[in-house]
Amino acid sequence: MDAILAFLTVFTRPDLFALVALGTFAGVYVGAIPGLSVTMAVSILISFTFSWDVLPAIALMIGIYMGGVYGGSRTAILLNIPGAPSAIATALDGYPMARRGQAGEAIGITTVMSFIGGFVGIAVLAVAAPFVSDFALSFQPRDYMLLAVLGLLLVGSLAGESLVKGIFCGALGLMLGSVGMDPLTFTERFTFDLPLLQSGISFIAVMIGLFGVSEALSQLHDIDKAAVRQTIARIVPSWSTVRKHLPLSMQTSTLGVIIGALPGTGGDIAALMAYDHAKRVTRNPERPFGDGAIEGLVAPETANNAAVGGAFIPMMTLGIPGDAVTAIMIGALFIHGLNPGPMLMVEQPDMFWFIVGALVLANFCMLLFGLTGIKLFVKIVEMPRTVLVPLIMLLSIVGAYAVNNSITDVYWMLGFGVFGYFLKLYGYPLGPIILGVILSRLLDDNWRRAILSERGSLGDFFIGMVTSPLSLVLFLSVIFIFISQTPPWKRWRQRREALRAKSDPARPAAAKTSEEKI
Amino acid sequence: MAARRARRPGEAMFTALLLAVSLFLLWSAFGISAFESLSSPGAVPMATTFAMAVTAAIVLFKTARSPAAKGEKIGREVLPPPVAIFAVMLVAYAILLEPFGFLPTSALFLVVSIKLLSARSWTYAAAISLLSLTLIYVLFRIVFTVLMPPGIVPEGEILSAIRGLFSGGL
Amino acid sequence: MKFHSLFAAALAAGVAFAASPSLAQDYPTKEIQGIIQWGAGGSTDTVMRAVTPKAEEVLGQSIVLQNVTGGVGAIALNKVASGKADGYTLLMGAENPLLYKVMGLGTKDYSDFVPIAILARGTPILVARPDAPFDTYEEMMAYIKDHPDEVKFGSTGPGGLPSVVSSMIADAEGGLPVTFIPYDGDGPALTALQSKAIDVMPAVLGAAIEAVKAGKMKPLAVVTNDKVDQLPDVEPISKANEKFSKYLPWGPFFGVFVPKGTPEDAISKLEDAYKQAGEQDSFKQLMDNRGYTLMNISGKEAEDFMTKWQSSTTWLLQDAGMTKKSPEEFDIPKPE
Repeated sequence: MDAILAFLTVFTRPDLFALVALGTFAGVYVGAIPGLSVTMAVSILISFTFSWDVLPAIALMIGIYMGGVYGGSRTAILLNIPGAPSAIATALDGYPMARRGQAGEAIGITTVMSFIGGFVGIAVLAVAAPFVSDFALSFQPRDYMLLAVLGLLLVGSLAGESLVKGIFCGALGLMLGSVGMDPLTFTERFTFDLPLLQSGISFIAVMIGLFGVSEALSQLHDIDKAAVRQTIARIVPSWSTVRKHLPLSMQTSTLGVIIGALPGTGGDIAALMAYDHAKRVTRNPERPFGDGAIEGLVAPETANNAAVGGAFIPMMTLGIPGDAVTAIMIGALFIHGLNPGPMLMVEQPDMFWFIVGALVLANFCMLLFGLTGIKLFVKIVEMPRTVLVPLIMLLSIVGAYAVNNSITDVYWMLGFGVFGYFLKLYGYPLGPIILGVILSRLLDDNWRRAILSERGSLGDFFIGMVTSPLSLVLFLSVIFIFISQTPPWKRWRQRREALRAKSDPARPAAAKTSEEKI
Repeated sequence: MAARRARRPGEAMFTALLLAVSLFLLWSAFGISAFESLSSPGAVPMATTFAMAVTAAIVLFKTARSPAAKGEKIGREVLPPPVAIFAVMLVAYAILLEPFGFLPTSALFLVVSIKLLSARSWTYAAAISLLSLTLIYVLFRIVFTVLMPPGIVPEGEILSAIRGLFSGGL
Repeated sequence: MKFHSLFAAALAAGVAFAASPSLAQDYPTKEIQGIIQWGAGGSTDTVMRAVTPKAEEVLGQSIVLQNVTGGVGAIALNKVASGKADGYTLLMGAENPLLYKVMGLGTKDYSDFVPIAILARGTPILVARPDAPFDTYEEMMAYIKDHPDEVKFGSTGPGGLPSVVSSMIADAEGGLPVTFIPYDGDGPALTALQSKAIDVMPAVLGAAIEAVKAGKMKPLAVVTNDKVDQLPDVEPISKANEKFSKYLPWGPFFGVFVPKGTPEDAISKLEDAYKQAGEQDSFKQLMDNRGYTLMNISGKEAEDFMTKWQSSTTWLLQDAGMTKKSPEEFDIPKPE
């Protein structure tokens, strides 16, 4: 009974209701602008809400968090510039849709899928938080390392025309992620004794440069062509579309919750893994992946919003942050006199149910704000390129600067912008670079921890890998995914598809699976 | 296997450059901790830069064997004048940002680039620039308190004075 | 053009206004920038974001907080040290910079700064995973002697709190044969402790206290001479071994600093603002809950505290063989 009342607090108190709504609204725009991040907004709110009560402060933060994770998809779809790292995968299929004039449709499906993903995340938080956090805690350094390897295999999905170029870009990303002073041993890596390299290369600056500026430079090629007219007749996706993608969205949401709940991995990795998953399980997309496949939007958007609920799981059950935003929220709870930790749920279950309630409300607000005002947003892409291109560049510069208030980041961003332009021109995929940067620390740090834990013995490391059930499952997944990307396997698959087509001449190859025939 | 693509102008040069950089980085990674142990800070960097060098070499080999694209020129398809001009303007922006400050540099950048690209009047370029710069300033500087390089405009003092004016008036 | 001239006029008016004598004389005339050495959500960040709003109120200006991370905080320190010493840039940091020189992490430390306030000091505690095969500090040492290199200690890199505490133990007990697993902060390391990736972690009390109370971690000893109020059942480490008392009390601390050469007027205003902020009841309460000892000292007192801290800690690390350069090179006196 108390739980229900606490859950309903946010719906019954108009001030809290308004703050969640306001937060979500602001979050959508914070998320959409590259360089403005939810982490930044929530940090500023700590001081801003210092004199407030704890509930309004948390309500506002939750709204911004939910809206911000979703907002990243906006600019990814409209401009090919992910507003946040978790929207990188969204750009892969969202932008091609916008180029065909289907931006409205892409935003519509993204919004609904984010809502579904967000809801799954909250549901798992509400029902199964203790179990999921126990599971998340069972991950050892070795398992994190295997997870990173699993992530690296996504290069196969993101590579585009040439796998070799994809691997090059992935390795480049890993290298970029390790530049600077190593946080574990304080050894300088790739710094060449330059102080400006000591703190490493800002990941957000790389992302803004590679996607924002390089895209703006590419658009200069057809500066004279008129912008694509957008048809925004269909925004809310039909029920049949939603239902068709429901199975996939459930799978990717689950993936999102788990990755989100793991301390050390978040929505960005979840979204990329979900994209890869979608590519693997979808037999017959209406359009190929990378060219505007709906599944390519469904997967990352469900996963990154599900990761929000996931990130709250270790925070609420153990006081361990699931990501950067929940880390700041833990600090906020401290400042407001609460002691987040394993006892919070025991001593103050009301707080838990209040947060769940606020998340539910934020999720509905996100759906509402996501589906309205699209016309205005879409106008951005219909702006003449002559104005849009300089604006993208200025926004990229300001965004890169804002991350750390550092001019150096602006130089890096511009450098990677020009570099990215040439990479694109010569057929190198940009996705794997970002993937590499995201996974660099996860792979490197946990590899070293795993080996140190075995006191340097590679043999013990492998024994550990096959004797721990979790490691074994991850290890076998790595092997399976690796094999499924090798040419012999692909040839075998093609032959099988061809045989199936022959036995049933009425249906074209690869169009239907045997299960669907029944 | 992807279909063999024609080699674009400058592609071989670019790939060779990537290979050279990869080799240099591999050497640099070796310098971190050599083959000290599997858990040394240089272990993973050495593996990644090795992968970079090998793949860059393969790409270079393939690129060198593919036929040059017909009818593509470096000054048209690869680096057309607008792109080159913009690259220069970005460099200029980066150089001027710190000494001049954010507001004047950005205003100059926007006005000049919109004017260059759109061939509309100066008024049009200035109006659009001012509007968008104001929006960016309000959002980043005032709402998110990002302290942009002030340069020659003492905007911090001005802003504070304006705030003082408002709070004093209440 | 019209817009431009209008803008210029507004600017000129603003400049004239800002430069008018009544406003120009009193520091602060514009926002102050506060550079936090550590990332958002960390202990330093939380403490600084909690104390600053009150200081803003006293100063009548906003303090824009910003996290500049990397290089164990050296990036932030160098950024502030190389900026203008006009009182408009504050460094908000922890104890680490006092070890930069001997650790080879930089050539600057707090001797290039004036302390505005040293707000609080933390207490180290030794915690173990709940199912570890020992319950007290003595049992742990006995277990380590029987199983050399088997116990996994968490660490946060050379110069971090775990490395200092481990050096103390090694020095007092004549060796500590354990395997160190590095993490990038005590938060991730304590998470690893709960997932059994490591066995023992020396951490600051505030970071571990909630998990200890919930039984998710086992407290072995507090690294102090006396019991602490927050965990009255945990024995102090110097009870197990007398030799520890010569290093204690020891603990990490947080402070606000400005570069040397900052005008006296600005320093005294800032000192006053942070003194008032540190004395608020809500802040005291927060510090107490997190297990920090409130200090709130400035000026000469703060400088003496840091000199003593630097001398004892650097020489301890030097004797443990963890430094890259001897404290002697920097004229850091050896504690008597």
